[in-house]
Amino acid sequence: MMASSTRQGFTPALRGVSRTLNGTKRQPLEQQFQSLRLSPALVPGRRCMSTESGPTEEEGSIVAAPEINMRELYHRFKLAEHARAVPVSPSYFSRTPTFNDRYLALDRFSRTYGNLPVIPTTDTERIAWKTLADLRQSFGEPVKATDYVKCLTIIKRLHQIHPELKPNVVTEALREFERDVQAFLNVPTPIPIDKFGRALGVGKRKASTARAFVVEGEGQVLVNGKSLADYFGRVHDRESAVWALHATDRIDKYNVWARVEGGGTTGQAEALTLAISKALLAHEPGLKPALRRAGTVTRDPRRVERKKHGRVKARKGPTWVKR
Amino acid sequence: MSAPNCLRCLVRPSAGIPVSAPRTVSPLVTPFVLARTAPFSTTAANARPKKEAQGKSDGGGSSRGGKKLQLGKFKKEKVADRGRTPLPGERKAYRKRITLSNDNAIPVPWLTDLGPADLADPRSSGKVMALPEEVQDQLRASEAFKATQCWGMFRKPAVLVRKETTDLVNRMEDAVDKKETLRLVVTGDKVTGKSMMLLQAMTHAYLNNWIVIHVPEAQELTTACTDYAPIPNTDPVQYMQNVYVLKLIQAIKRANEKVLAKTYTMTAHPELPQNMPANSSLLALANVAKEAEGAWAVFQALWTELTAQGANRPPILLTLDGLAHVMKVSDYRAPSFDLIHSHDLALVRLFSDVLAGGGAKFPSGGAVLAATSRSNAPRAASMELALAQREAEQSNKEKEKTDVEVPKKDPFFRGYDDRVEAVLRSVQVLRLKGIDKLEARALMEYWAASGMLRAMVDEKTVTEKWTLAGSGVLGEMERAALLTMRV
Repeated sequence: MMASSTRQGFTPALRGVSRTLNGTKRQPLEQQFQSLRLSPALVPGRRCMSTESGPTEEEGSIVAAPEINMRELYHRFKLAEHARAVPVSPSYFSRTPTFNDRYLALDRFSRTYGNLPVIPTTDTERIAWKTLADLRQSFGEPVKATDYVKCLTIIKRLHQIHPELKPNVVTEALREFERDVQAFLNVPTPIPIDKFGRALGVGKRKASTARAFVVEGEGQVLVNGKSLADYFGRVHDRESAVWALHATDRIDKYNVWARVEGGGTTGQAEALTLAISKALLAHEPGLKPALRRAGTVTRDPRRVERKKHGRVKARKGPTWVKR
Repeated sequence: MSAPNCLRCLVRPSAGIPVSAPRTVSPLVTPFVLARTAPFSTTAANARPKKEAQGKSDGGGSSRGGKKLQLGKFKKEKVADRGRTPLPGERKAYRKRITLSNDNAIPVPWLTDLGPADLADPRSSGKVMALPEEVQDQLRASEAFKATQCWGMFRKPAVLVRKETTDLVNRMEDAVDKKETLRLVVTGDKVTGKSMMLLQAMTHAYLNNWIVIHVPEAQELTTACTDYAPIPNTDPVQYMQNVYVLKLIQAIKRANEKVLAKTYTMTAHPELPQNMPANSSLLALANVAKEAEGAWAVFQALWTELTAQGANRPPILLTLDGLAHVMKVSDYRAPSFDLIHSHDLALVRLFSDVLAGGGAKFPSGGAVLAATSRSNAPRAASMELALAQREAEQSNKEKEKTDVEVPKKDPFFRGYDDRVEAVLRSVQVLRLKGIDKLEARALMEYWAASGMLRAMVDEKTVTEKWTLAGSGVLGEMERAALLTMRV
């Protein structure tokens, strides 16, 4: 069984032209169908029943059932002569049997348990579901995007079922569609507010680091022991330092005492933005969306770009010289 | 600065220079000696006729002889049309120009003119009030307005009356009631309104018919940019600055015209070039100073008259901006080529004596105020230390505690100056900080009413600007709200 995402278009194309070329390695479609036929001539034993068979048999790949000896069955169960075996799984003949089976199972569950009470999506446990690429990777099958979308709709609907009433089978079935690494489980350590009512936020930008103690107050700011106007000569820098408070209309409700180190004025001012924003979030976690809109939640990862050889600076080309 | 030939004349004084004048000359003839003296001019180099320049006046620059490398066959003559170049002094005049009104600004209907009692009234603190026309002229004459202040943005000049203002004015009034002299130094951080505080004190003085003598820039006295000459018969030698004193007399005359016209001399002044009988007006006395020569004698006469004991004189306000410049050794040189201490310059000494509590007593009381500067100030370690000490002592006295430690001299530092310490031993110190939010709000409402601040003035905007200005530093509030371009 091959993870055949690369071979999807390739296989049918090869099928017509290079049958003789690949005949030994790859079974053509007719041959594969023959393998399904109940032929007494075939030696009983393990055979690859996949629509595509790889050169090697991997661990855990689908293995065909042993050949059914129909003649014996005829005699034992008095079956009709023209009876034939039908695969258990309806996806037996599809290219994506693993996915298909799961999909069908989920579909069945949604029909069965569709009437169970649900909770709003905002209250459900946040789970990162596998993306299409993840799904193809893990099942090793060329899952169609439309199928994936349909499947995901069912998954989300099933996930909404009230957790106390959710059957275990559903939970089990959904587990296969969870991403391996659940980013939502990474919860940052909450910033405590100490007995003096201070919250300490730390922010960085370029080469600067800022620590800001934010307490409830009336809008005073001290940076490294100086007032904001003393410390930052540019009005723009002052504005960006208190931007988090300004954007949330909290400038008259908090006092800030900060230490800033490293870098230049702009870097220090913007490091302060982040530090104050984090400390403010400790006081009022509900401000997070507002602060995110203000652009003060995410650290700006940009640094000085390194100089490259053959260039004057990071990108500047050397001066053109005629000779 | 001094040119070499000027220094030469210092080293070899000619007979006309009063240093070598015999000490036996009676003080009565001093002015006539003065009239003949040649001051140590600092502009000697400029005064010399320029011989080289006369030859090639049309060239407009030096033309180099010899061969020139010609690149390209047909080179176009470069004709740079720069328009009219500014005349000499025009650029400086533009830089120093003070505009007091802006016709495009919206007039503020509720703005009231300051009355004589308004600045002393605690109820008017936290209000913006306009300067009356008359006072504007007086302040302009005494150069109280500065080019860096934002007068030109509004329809008419107005000031915010702060708590500190009413406090200072009340102290001045108290001193006058007791016929004493208030000696006070206004200090504080950058752009906290120190010069503006002097302006407000002067406004109060003008409104109440005081006599105001204002030195707008102390550095003009000590950075060796104006003429100076030793005063004969002084020991240790003092120096007069005739050109500056003439300017000062004229400023005093223009600013205090009404009051001086109503004040009369007690004694005759026969030593002056023009004879002044007793009981003539001080305005006439001030008018005697027509030229730089003899200006110091006139100023001295004026000063003696103003401080004449037992006479009915108006209170006097003596102000000086940029204190650090007069609390150090000046850039002037004595004939022995030593640097002259600022307190040996007669005009500075007059001021520092009053500030120290000695010197002339004002007959009806008054005040002597000095403001420090943070933008243009030399290091004056003694002054800084003395002010810090006075401030600590003051706060200990107010709280009747000793919790603030009085700073001490650094034992390893040599730059202290005993004369400066002596002057500042008993002055009061008024430290200016940021304004509070109520005052900030009043100010911003005035800005908004004038159309200069295009934002709704509410709690949020006020606090924002107040915070951005480092807890309400006035100049920074102006920067944050008025001078920063907002789109």
